Amino acid sequence: MTDSDSGMDLEALRDGVRGVVAEQASHERVAAFTDGDETLNAALWTQASELGWLALSAPEEAGGLGLGPQELAVVYEELGRSVAPLPMLGSMLAVEALTAAEASDQTAEWIGRLASGERIGTVSMLRPGVFGTALTLTAGEGGSVVLDGVADSLLDGASANLLLLLARDGEGLKWVVVDTAAEGVSVEAIRTVDRTRSLGRVTFASLSLPAERVLAGDAAAIGEAVLTHAALAVASDSQGGAEAVLDITLEYLKTRQQFGKPIGSFQALKHRCAEHRLALVGSRHLIAEAVARAARGEDDALRYALSAKVLAAATGFRVAEDAVQLHGGIGYTWEHPCHLYLKRARLNEQLFGDEAAHLDHVARLLLAAA
Amino acid sequence: MIENPSRTFDPLALKDDLTAFRAEVRAWLEAVVPADWRETMRGADEADYVAFQRWWFAEMAKVGLATPHWPRDWGGADIGIRHQIIIYEEIARAQAPNPELFVISLYHLPATLFGHGSQAQRDRYLTGVKERGEVWCQGFSEPNAGSDLASLRTRAERKGDVYVVNGQKVWSSFGASADYCLLLACTDQNAPKKQAGISYFILDMKAPGVTVRPIRQATGQSEFCEIFLDNVEIPVADLIGEENAGWMIAQSTLSAERGLIIFELSERMARTMDADLAEAKRTDAAWLRDDQTRREFTAAYTDMVTLRLMIRAMMEEVEADPHMASSTLPTYIKIHFSNVLRRYTDFRVRIAGLDGQIEQPVIMGGGHQTGNVMYDFILSFAWSISGGTVEILKTVIAERHLGLPR
Repeated sequence: MTDSDSGMDLEALRDGVRGVVAEQASHERVAAFTDGDETLNAALWTQASELGWLALSAPEEAGGLGLGPQELAVVYEELGRSVAPLPMLGSMLAVEALTAAEASDQTAEWIGRLASGERIGTVSMLRPGVFGTALTLTAGEGGSVVLDGVADSLLDGASANLLLLLARDGEGLKWVVVDTAAEGVSVEAIRTVDRTRSLGRVTFASLSLPAERVLAGDAAAIGEAVLTHAALAVASDSQGGAEAVLDITLEYLKTRQQFGKPIGSFQALKHRCAEHRLALVGSRHLIAEAVARAARGEDDALRYALSAKVLAAATGFRVAEDAVQLHGGIGYTWEHPCHLYLKRARLNEQLFGDEAAHLDHVARLLLAAA
Repeated sequence: MIENPSRTFDPLALKDDLTAFRAEVRAWLEAVVPADWRETMRGADEADYVAFQRWWFAEMAKVGLATPHWPRDWGGADIGIRHQIIIYEEIARAQAPNPELFVISLYHLPATLFGHGSQAQRDRYLTGVKERGEVWCQGFSEPNAGSDLASLRTRAERKGDVYVVNGQKVWSSFGASADYCLLLACTDQNAPKKQAGISYFILDMKAPGVTVRPIRQATGQSEFCEIFLDNVEIPVADLIGEENAGWMIAQSTLSAERGLIIFELSERMARTMDADLAEAKRTDAAWLRDDQTRREFTAAYTDMVTLRLMIRAMMEEVEADPHMASSTLPTYIKIHFSNVLRRYTDFRVRIAGLDGQIEQPVIMGGGHQTGNVMYDFILSFAWSISGGTVEILKTVIAERHLGLPR
């Protein structure tokens, strides 16, 4: 099956994305970007916008293509494959939150701007379990709301200008939209060791916002939709990265000669590669199932997504870790791409909750059904 | 143990309606599986166990569920993946016995004869399994030919209408109860490669010169046997395929083990893990409250879910191409299943504490997850060693699938 449930030819989409990324995010270009001080790879962002990648999941009435998890998973996997510096996930999570909220003219407009690439979005760094936040909302003058506190660890925050943040008011959790340009708010960029991405931090000191910036809808349900999307995205990114770096490693093992033969003929190295491939076959099947369940909107979509993330992120790390080791000295250099994959894999493990947080919530969901 | 069901059951007649098919399989299992069979088989002797296995196989055969996975032309029902999933889910749900005495008869024999047997061999031997419950064993390994199977020394010399066979086989499961054996023997000691001098035979275990001796395993049971062959005569008609083509045919035999058999075992594993979790929730078990052990369980559960997805993908490949000539999945599935089984049985041993170390009678035919934690753990080695060790399979993946040099 190469078609998604929505009828899109996923292999054609994959070929298209791979072709663009291979050129725009070649290892040389990624290295040049990560060595520089730019926070946004403008050329790649423009390509992604023009090719409609950012519009894949937005509803048609908001100017999008109305597609979903299966199409996005293909894009995320390809971005991971080439460790592409494209701040797409934050924007797509913002679209997810706006789509999960009650529709209004305002949500449609924001979705449209994110889908066109005019705006770059991000969301609160959620973690599985009971959602928490350090932001508070209080009533302001004339029906406005007042936002206080720190929003930390915003993925792709350095380039984001439309923030979807979880805050708490007297009633409970609320999602609130902050338009950084309109509000005169600036996001402090936090450079991560994985230089293909970044985090951001914003401090709010009694920022007054119009009441319509508070999204209508069940905040926890919106959070679950965001978390499901995030888990599938990070899992796909990890999978793509691990498969690519394993392929690079296998090529090296076939060509690098020591003791008069290719080092890939040594059984100690062969068995490790076989273990990595086995793990990747498994995680690929689990991700595909989790994505399919999310696309069908099944009740256990979150549990499958979290399971896929924890498995794929752990596998992605193990493969990238061993890729450096299997390359020997060359794998330890800055010029070789191995370290880019390793650092991206390590950040993936931590994004939207670590392994323990994922396993604990999967256990909670299993127990609720047991 | 012989029950008289209130009515006859015919699930295969309802196979066009999956819901009705499932209901009929479930009703049949409820009527026919003795509620106390585990108690009866706890500590049972070999003879009682074999009799119970034969009875269970006959009950399955009566409703067509012994060989439903075989093609219709060869006496099966030609059912697809969705029906097989239902059958295995219901068998697991009912905790019905596993017909382990018949594993070679149901999987390895057809995997061998479908592709390589003569029409006469298929007629005679597949019918024998289906209608008479004939038990088969496998005569591949030898004391000096384990992972290096091609180094086998059992020799078969053609003399007129028979091959005269001399040698010794080992690790033949249920050899003592078997009617026939799938036998590999050397027919050309001068072949340029050892593999090119091996032939594949059907051995009648009652033939003169065949001696079987049980081997006691680490579990304490004696499922495995040694087979001694002293001037045993095998008719030429019982050669499978061409002379010296046995090595290639043996790969078909082993592929059965790496795929379909694990399908049923993985369904039982899923059932066991769900039941273990429900029991822990009910009793507020300490391991569920402890972060580390609970996380270990959850990770193992995820591995089990992944295993089942890989098996479903393999079943779809089987439907598209029954011989799966190019499939790499069975090899991955076998390693993954071995790993998950070891990991989970080890987990059960650790959470059982000192109580888990108390010797208990074994439930004969209880499968791989009987709840007798040390027995289950020891038995898990059967999967990581037999039919190609995990280490051999990793080398296969590295060389054949990843293209790493020999």
